[in-house]
Formats: sequence, structure tokens, C-alpha cells
Amino acid sequence: MKALRIDRNVGKFGAARIVSAVSPGGAAKLGPLEHRTINDPAPPSGGGWQQVHTRLAGICGSDLALLDGHASAYFENWVSFPFVPGHEVVGELESGERVILEPVLGHAARGLTLPFEGASPADGDDHTHLATTSVNGIEPGIQTGFCCSTGGGWAPWFWAHESQLHRINGTASEFPDERAVLVEPFAGGIHAALMAAPVANRADDPVVAVIGAGTMGLAAIAGLRRYVPNVRIVAGARYEHQRRLAAAFGADCVAEGSDLDRAVRREVGCHLIGDPDEPILSSGAHVTVDAVGSAASIADAIRITRPGGRIVLLGMPANVTIDLTGLWHREIEMRGAYTYGTEKLADGTTTSTFKLAIDTVTALEAEMLVSATYSLDDHVDAIAHAASAGRRGATKTCFEMRGS
Amino acid sequence: MPRPGFVLDVDRSTPPTLFWRGEGFSLERLPADRSRIIYPPEPLKGLDHLDHHIRNALLNPIDMEPLPALLKPGMRLTIAFDDVSLSLPKMRRPDNRQRIVEAVLDMAAEAGVDDVHIIAALGLHRRMHEYEMRHVLGDRVVDAFMPRGQLYNHDAEDHENLTVVGETDHGEVLEINKRAAESDLIVYANVNQVAMDGGWKSLVTGLASYRCLSHHHNPESLRNTKSLMDRHHSALHHSIWRMGKVLRDSGPAVFQVETTINTEAFPSPFEFLAKREWEWTAKDRALFLGTSKALNKMPNTTKRKLFHNIEAPYRTTSVQAGYTESVHEITLQNVHEQHLVEVEGQTDILTMGIPFISPYNPESIMNPILVMCMGLGYLFNMYRGKPLVRAGGVVIMTHPTYEDFHPVHHPSYIDFFDEVLADTTDPAEMSTKWEKKYAEDDWYRHLYRTSYAYHGVHPFYAWYWGAHGQQHAGRVIIVGGHAPAVRRLGFTPASTMSDALEIASDVVGRNPTISHLHVPGVLVADVK
Amino acid sequence: MLAYIRRVQRPNSVGRRSIRVAQRASGITESALRRAAMPLARRGFPYRKPTVPRSVEVPKKPSKLGGAYDTEWARTPIARAMRGVIVEGPMRLAVRTLTSPTVHGLDRLSDLERAANDNESPAPVIFAPNHHSHFDTGLVIRSIPAAWRRELVVAAAADYFFDAQWKAVISALSLHALPIDREMTGRSTSDRLRDLIADGNSLIIYPEGGRSPDGWGQEFKGGAAYLAARTGVAVIPVFIDGTSEIFGKGAKRPKPGRTTVTFGAPMWPGDNENTRRFNARIQSTMERLGDEALTDYWTASRRAAGGNSPSLTGPEYSSWRRQWQLGDRRRRSPSGRRRPRRRTWPAL
Repeated sequence: MKALRIDRNVGKFGAARIVSAVSPGGAAKLGPLEHRTINDPAPPSGGGWQQVHTRLAGICGSDLALLDGHASAYFENWVSFPFVPGHEVVGELESGERVILEPVLGHAARGLTLPFEGASPADGDDHTHLATTSVNGIEPGIQTGFCCSTGGGWAPWFWAHESQLHRINGTASEFPDERAVLVEPFAGGIHAALMAAPVANRADDPVVAVIGAGTMGLAAIAGLRRYVPNVRIVAGARYEHQRRLAAAFGADCVAEGSDLDRAVRREVGCHLIGDPDEPILSSGAHVTVDAVGSAASIADAIRITRPGGRIVLLGMPANVTIDLTGLWHREIEMRGAYTYGTEKLADGTTTSTFKLAIDTVTALEAEMLVSATYSLDDHVDAIAHAASAGRRGATKTCFEMRGS
Repeated sequence: MPRPGFVLDVDRSTPPTLFWRGEGFSLERLPADRSRIIYPPEPLKGLDHLDHHIRNALLNPIDMEPLPALLKPGMRLTIAFDDVSLSLPKMRRPDNRQRIVEAVLDMAAEAGVDDVHIIAALGLHRRMHEYEMRHVLGDRVVDAFMPRGQLYNHDAEDHENLTVVGETDHGEVLEINKRAAESDLIVYANVNQVAMDGGWKSLVTGLASYRCLSHHHNPESLRNTKSLMDRHHSALHHSIWRMGKVLRDSGPAVFQVETTINTEAFPSPFEFLAKREWEWTAKDRALFLGTSKALNKMPNTTKRKLFHNIEAPYRTTSVQAGYTESVHEITLQNVHEQHLVEVEGQTDILTMGIPFISPYNPESIMNPILVMCMGLGYLFNMYRGKPLVRAGGVVIMTHPTYEDFHPVHHPSYIDFFDEVLADTTDPAEMSTKWEKKYAEDDWYRHLYRTSYAYHGVHPFYAWYWGAHGQQHAGRVIIVGGHAPAVRRLGFTPASTMSDALEIASDVVGRNPTISHLHVPGVLVADVK
Repeated sequence: MLAYIRRVQRPNSVGRRSIRVAQRASGITESALRRAAMPLARRGFPYRKPTVPRSVEVPKKPSKLGGAYDTEWARTPIARAMRGVIVEGPMRLAVRTLTSPTVHGLDRLSDLERAANDNESPAPVIFAPNHHSHFDTGLVIRSIPAAWRRELVVAAAADYFFDAQWKAVISALSLHALPIDREMTGRSTSDRLRDLIADGNSLIIYPEGGRSPDGWGQEFKGGAAYLAARTGVAVIPVFIDGTSEIFGKGAKRPKPGRTTVTFGAPMWPGDNENTRRFNARIQSTMERLGDEALTDYWTASRRAAGGNSPSLTGPEYSSWRRQWQLGDRRRRSPSGRRRPRRRTWPAL
């Protein structure tokens, strides 16, 4: 089949990184991603595998980081080249049922025992299975979309294990594909939001700041509003349309990115200390969710989080240089938020993040966030659009393969 | 012989008119045969031997004993003086306040008075920097009293140092600086640049607390202040005068020294800026062109530095001292003599250029809120009788209105712009919804007391100052302003004057009559 | 064990060597000059000056020096231009480096400065400073606002500054000095001064008459008061502090330090005030000004009001106690002390 595939080519990764400095989408042309005819992936051994025909596959920030060479070398061990990217997928089974993909290649998919009863693919605290070839022949890979054995979403079809599939209840008009493709990113955001819950629930008037209102930031805002009671959400977003969406999704106060510190100060009522351009709050937000993950945003998060508070790092950072003195001095905790799995809610019930995500996207009618779709042939434009999404007023960009 | 102000009817031979535009100028042509320009009176001649006149006033006051008779050894003397919001621009040294304070101190020394405190009566304005104290009071007074802790800024948030003097029959509480209230005599050194200031206002606002000020610094009072320059029709001044009576009856003796200044605001060779355009010489025109072009090329910080370094060669036109109310009547006569221009009737549109300075940003940046305050607050209120523009008419101002704020002087203004104005521009609504939060914020209070910041509630006052203008005008347009900031203020942005007139035609039709207030040059229009 | 004692180096070895060098240099110059002058050595009159016969009485020419020195040439345009260059160049640099002055009280002069219309210069005044050092004149000239500095005359002691031709030329050219007789100010001198003032020149005259011998002030003579009454111009007292430490009377070399110059408010004689009383008033104002310069304005005002201003002339003690008291007074003012050396942290 003809699909988008990333080959391991150090030169191309380097070129992509350099070009991305001047042109965000230029990496797509010079980079390691190619639209070519590839060998169909062989059906993995062991039962439970199904062919999934892609309907919509989203482009995520981590995909963009990988394509323009900014992803960390850390991932060397967790991907197997050459692979077809694409992990935010809504597809169709042979039987015609529409499914949403939970892309993590977990224990079940790899023929291993689950860490506990009813575990989701991403649960467990030992990542051996993700970095080694499994007994059933699945090569290393954290998710579908990073593994050479299964294929990925940016192709007409791929292999998915039963444990990765969530069947959609409802027709295309009741539960559109555009809504379904957002379930995976929303699950990530909600997982981050639930990480804020323990700290927020300890405080009387919790204030949670969210830096960045792209898809992940908006998902975190939605998750906070729905699943963390009593919280006041202060969001900082660079672009006008992002601010509108943040307010629509439940943020109490939305400010421009550079004014987030003053907005948090107004909420909390503390002092600003030091340089007026980059002041440090004397107190601050109980939790800050950083949905950007750059050196600047982490530094901002340290400045605006209360001493003893928590930073949830949702955006994927790469190799960043940060002054951690503030973190040490303010005794702030920083937690990474990568994926989703099984969640324990405030009222004690256990559920999977994906279920919460499906509820959330339904309630918010999140399909409005899909701004543009492209065919695989137009991948250069698609990547360029996704890379400059904010500036161009877009949120989520997808590849579309319906009707082919 | 200085000529009085007059109203010019614009015709086709009228040259373009000078408009202030922040730190710069522009020349605009107003439509012929339906526009009029109100020119201010020329500066009156000042007094010679000002120190003699001051000494004379202290020895021959009005309705009070001469000052030496009031000074006794062992008494507590407090001298209060107008803060850095006057004069605009700052006077050349020595300032009138320096002369008055030194004359009073000489007499106090002769009488053997030791316990003297000198307080800057700044109300909720920012504290004065030391260099500003030196400019206003001179090095001798500052070097003698500041190290001893006897010269300082009034602190309205120092609750241990505030005391209630009494209450008016309208329930307004007069709460002022404790040291002043418990003195045997307060001497006030005033510079009366406009009719709004002086009289009881000096002490009743300058040394007051937030609680006391909120009785008259509120949207209701300011909407009924018509105008700020006419105390007989001003709810603000009525309230202040009531409190003044309480001060007179229950407070310490007050010896008010008031001086009035003329309008010589520009040092040579720039005095032509206040001149009528058809009287500009070739040298003036060349200087104007050179200066405007140079200003256009400069960055904002350089321009501001240039303008804020101007020291106006103001001459003093009168000095009087004694009982506050009697003294103030004479002061107002002198102020009106310098400022009043008789004008017949109102027009559909009022145009004015907004200068780079307002009473709330000396040595600082004029942020958008202060543009509104200066335009709809001060310049709109430069009238007696009726406003120059009819009710529902259009006000057109020129100013770049950049979104720059001084982080040290105006921290609460930044949040006011981001938070309050994004929510509402209605003074009544913001007063109920937001004013308390800003007035009681701990950080703003800390900065007001220890740094050089205006009080947290001050942006609200700046906004209320324009409440009457805002209510009266049907539409407000800012020419040449930064559009997002202008919109945030609730006004309409326009790029040129003709665009502004086009936009105004929605409200006032295609052939509106226009009045232009020719500032530079302070004037008060006496509208019949 | 022998203790090794290092011999102290002879302190004058360096000085001795320089003397030897100087001697040799002057010797060479001398022999060169002698050789150059040899042709003339054998000649007489008219190549050389004539000798006078014993029976002839040569009338003594009236001395053109001293009080009679004519300084009119110093007011020609060329001389003025040269003076301008000297005052703005070498004098400015010398005043700055040697005396590092801080000037106070200039705002007291603003009204007089501004009284003139824009194109005219302000009316002349008489500056009356106290006197401790030769540097006082240069210091005062550099401290006076530019509007008056250009047309200044300094009244200088005829017996000190005008007793030799070279001294007279330098004083008249660089300082625009006018000779006055210290003991008796003659009619002609005061007429000359009055005419110069009427021409628009301001005057610097030291009421004490000469430099203080011991650091305290001296009683004021009436010259400034008399001229003010005759010409109707204001007297401005000027208090200089610190120059006695830098180059006081009897000092060999100047020691750079800091000074303050404080201008007082202009004074005019009262309606019924004779010269003597006006002079006494100027002296008491100077006492108050000195108190203000050394403490602060308010203390000075109160002490003056109570008649307690510390006297300029110091206590009526014998010599060592006067000196002792002087040291006490000096301690209060920061002037006169050498610039403090920068403290460096010790290397650890």
C-alpha cells in the first residue's frame, strides 16, 4: 500500500531540524517522512489482531517534534524503524464497525500477562515489553504509530489488537469521526488534569493554571472542569481563537500567554516579586499544567506555581535547559503526564481514561476542534499546517482516508 | 499686553491647527464654515520679586492673624504641600512651594518652633521620589528635614497614622493624616494651576484615606460634577466643601497659602506652540517641522524622556494667604482671569489633542486609561455652564494610545486594563463589581506604601473622572490610536481626522459643527 | 644562629641622584648660553644698557605696578577671548581635579538671572566670598552661573598680586583682577570699581581682605557694603568650605580634596542702613550661611533666629585651643578631606 513512512536517516533528521528553524513545515519536505509504497505489514501472530481501515488520523505535537528532528534521542529505544506514524486514529474494522484506537502496545497486545485485572494497555510500571521484541514478534515500540510491525494510522490500514480498540456506539451523524479522532488526545489531557486532582482537592479554593491552549491544553481544561470539583482554572493562550475555546471549555479566566502570571496573581491575591517582565509570584497556583513543554513554559510554570505545589508536564519537552533553583527553593513537585490508562476518581471509582475522554468529547461536541483534513498525498501541506496551527487559527489537523 | 482668548470661526484661509498627539504633534485641517477653534488667553504677566509678595501675604493674610502671631515656641506645626501632580509640566526651580515653605520656615525659626513636619499631600497618588522632593522644595529643605524623618509622603494606608476628624450631615466621614489633624497649625503651600484645585480640596483630599475619598470619588458624584472646573456645580466639590467645614470646625487651624500661575508652559524657543498658527514666524515653522520629523523617528522612550524633562517657565500671577475659603475666592478670580474664554453655544463635535502628560503620569508613561482620563476627564471638563459639545455629540481625540504601562508607577492600571476593562467600561458596574478587590489587594497596598505606585484603586478614580464625559458624549473616537487599546476603552479607532469625521457622521450627520479646544494653553470655556 | 638583619636602604639615594642630574643639566645649559652671549660680552652701549653718571639725578618713574597698575588692556576683545579660553580650559580642569566642588544654593540666584529679558545678560552683582586660599577665586569663578561668569572683575590685593610685572599680567589676564589697596581703599579705586560695575561687570571682592591665617575667618571690612550702596547692586555672600585644607595660607604644595560652595540670597542695603550696619549684616548672613553649609538649613535658621550662629572668627582663645576648636568644626563637614581610597576585599 501507499503510506507515509519514517525511515531512519540521520542526515534527513538533521536537515529537518535545521530547516524547521526558518520554515515550520519545511521539515516535511526535507525530512525523513516519505509517501511511498511499502510492504503490507504481516499479520502478527497470536490471536486478537484485526485489520483496521483508517478513516481519520490526527497529527499530534509529538509527531511534529519527531518529524522536524526535535524529538529527544531518548526515544531511540522505544521505536523501531522504519515505521508508519499516526496514533490518533478512528477507523473501521472489516465488519464495518467504527473503532477508536488506544494506541499503546501494552501487555495484552504483546501476549503478556496484565499487571492487574482490567488493566488498560498503558498501565504498569515496567516498560520492558515496550522496548523489546515480544514473543509474538511485535518489535519494540511504545505505540501503534511507532512500531514497524503493526503499521500506523497514516496509512490506509494497519493491525490493531483487540485490547486497543474501543467500539463507537452510534452512527456517523450521532458520533462523528471528527469527534472520535479527538478521543485519544483528550484522554492525554484528562489524565494530566486528574494528576492535578489530589493537590487541588487538598486546598480550599484551588487555582489551577494551564499554560498553552492547543488541543492538549484545551483537553486539560475540559478535564479539570469536569473531573476536579471547585477548581478555578486560569489559562494562558497566545492566540485569540485558542482563548475563545479555552473560555468555552470551562476556563474561568483566560489571559494572553505573556500575561498569565498577572492573571494568576489576580486570582490568588499574592505579590509579584522581582523583574516586572518575568516576575515570580510570592504564592501562586496550586497546580500548573504545562501543555507546551518548552524551556520557557517550564520556567514560567516554576514562577507561577505556589511553593509546595505541583507542575504537571503535559507537553513533551526535549532536551531543554532550565534553571531549577526555583523548583528547589519553592519545593515544587514536577510530574510528567504522558499517557492514559486506569484512573481513580475523587469519589473512589475506577475507570479508564478513554471512557472519560469519550464522555468529555461528547459533552463538548469537540469535533469543532478539527480544523482541516488532508489526504496522504498532501502530507507536506498537512504537516506545514499542523506546525503553524496556532498562527493559522487551527487546532487539530488530520489525514483523511474515508472514501478511498 | 496679553490678549484674551477668543473663538475663531474657521474659513478656507485658516491654516491647519496644531493638535497635541501624545509625545508629538500634528496639524489638522478642520472643515471650513462650520468649525470653530477656541484659543486660550495669552499668558498674563507674572509678579516681580515673588519672594517679597509671599512674605507680604504671610504677614498680611485674609481673615486670619499674620503668620508670626500664630507661631509660638513648643507648638506642633505641620506644613503640607501639593504633590508632584502639579504643576504640569514641572516648574523651573525654585518652585513656588519651595519659596513658600522657606518663607514659613524662616518665620518658624524666628518664633522658636522646633516640632515641624512637612508632608506631601498626595492622597492616593504615588510617593514622591527624592529627586522630585528636591525639585519641589529645594535642596536646603530636603537636606534639613528628610534625614530627620520630618519630611515625608502621606501614607493613606498607615491606619495607625489616620484619625477621624468628624462627620458631615450627609454622613461623609473626614478621616485624615493623624499628625496633621493633631497639629496646632497646618500651613498649606499650594500651586493652583486649574480651578479644580485649592480651597478645601487641598487638605480634604491630599491628606485623606480611601474611606474618606470614596465619599466623593465615585461614579455617582462625578457624573453630577458639571464641571470639575466649576465648584459651584460640582457634586465632588460640594462634598469636599462640606468636609472642609468639618475640618474648620473640629480640626486644627489651617493657614492656606495659594499661588496662581500663568500659562507660559514652554521654554523658548518653543513658546510658539501656544501661539496662534497664523502668527508663527518662519523660524517657528522651521523649528516645528524639524522637531516633528525628529520626533517621528525617535523611539518612545527617548521621546518621553525629552518631554518629561521640560521645565516650564511659569510666572506666578498672584499670592494670597489666610482663611481657606476667602483665599480661594481670590485665587479663583485670578485663575479665571487667565483661563476663561467666552463661547456661544454648543456644537455637534468636540475635537482635542491629548498631551503627553496628565496629573497621574509625571515622569512616567501615559497609558490608555490615562488617555481617557485626560481627554474625557480633564479636557472635556474645561468648561463652565455647559459642555462645548451637545449631549449625544461626538468627542474626537488624537493620541497614539499605545498599550504601554509603567510597571513601577502603575501596576494596578495594568490589571485594570486586562481584567476590569475587558469586562465592563461602565463606571457604576465596575465600582460595584471590582473596586473593592483592587482597593484591598495586599500587593497594591504594599507597592503604594513602599514603592512608587499609585494606589490599587487609583485606575478606577482615573476612569470615574471621565464618567461625566462618557455619559454625555454619544461616541468617542481616537485618531491615530492603537486600535485594540482604543476598543478596550470602549471607543472607536480612526486613522485620520477625515476618517473620524466619517465615522462620526453616523451620530451627528454629514455636516456637523465642530469645536476645537486649542491645547497647548490651558483654557476654560465659559459656554452660554 | 645569626639573625640576618637587613640593612635599611638609604632613604636619600633617589633624591641625590636627581640632584646630580639637575646639576649637570643646568651646567650644560649655562655653558651653552655663555658661548652664545660671547659676541655681546665684549660690546657695550648701545648694545647693552647704559650706566648713569654719578652726578645725574634720574627721576624716579612712578611705579606702574601695585595699586597704579592699569588693567584696561585686559578688557580688549583679544584679552577677553584669551581669558575665556583660560577659564573654560585649564582653570576648569584645575578646579575640578584639585577642588572637586559641590555647589549649593544656585536657586537663590534664579530670580536675578531671569529678571533680564532673554537677550540681555542679567544685572551685575557683587559676590562676597570668605577667603582661605588662593584657589578661592578660581573656585568661585567656576561656580558662578555662566550668565555672570563672562563679565567678572576680581578685586585683588595690589601689594600681593600686582607687585611684579609677570604677576600683574597673569592676574589681570586670567582672573580679570583689579588691584585694590588693602589698607586704605582710595577714592580712585572705588571709582574705578563703580564704573566697571556700571558697565555691567559683576565683582568678586573678599570682605575679609586677605586669606585667613589660621583657618578661622576674620572680621569683614566694608568694601562690598560700600560699593553696593554706591552702585545699587545686590551683594551675594558665598561660603566656601574646604580650600584651607587644600592650599591654605602657608602651604607649600596643594593637596587635592573636596570643597563646597554655598551661595546666599541676594542682599541690598536697607533704607536707613549705613555701610557699617550693612557690613555687619553681611557678616552675620555669612555666619548663618556657613552654619547652613556645615550642618543644615533648619539648624542654621533656628540658631540665627536665636542669635546663636557659630561665629566665623572662632573663639577668643589662645593659639592651641583655637586650632583644637577648628579641628572639631572641620570634622563635621566632609570637605577638605582627601578622596577616600577604595576599599578592596582582602584576597582569601
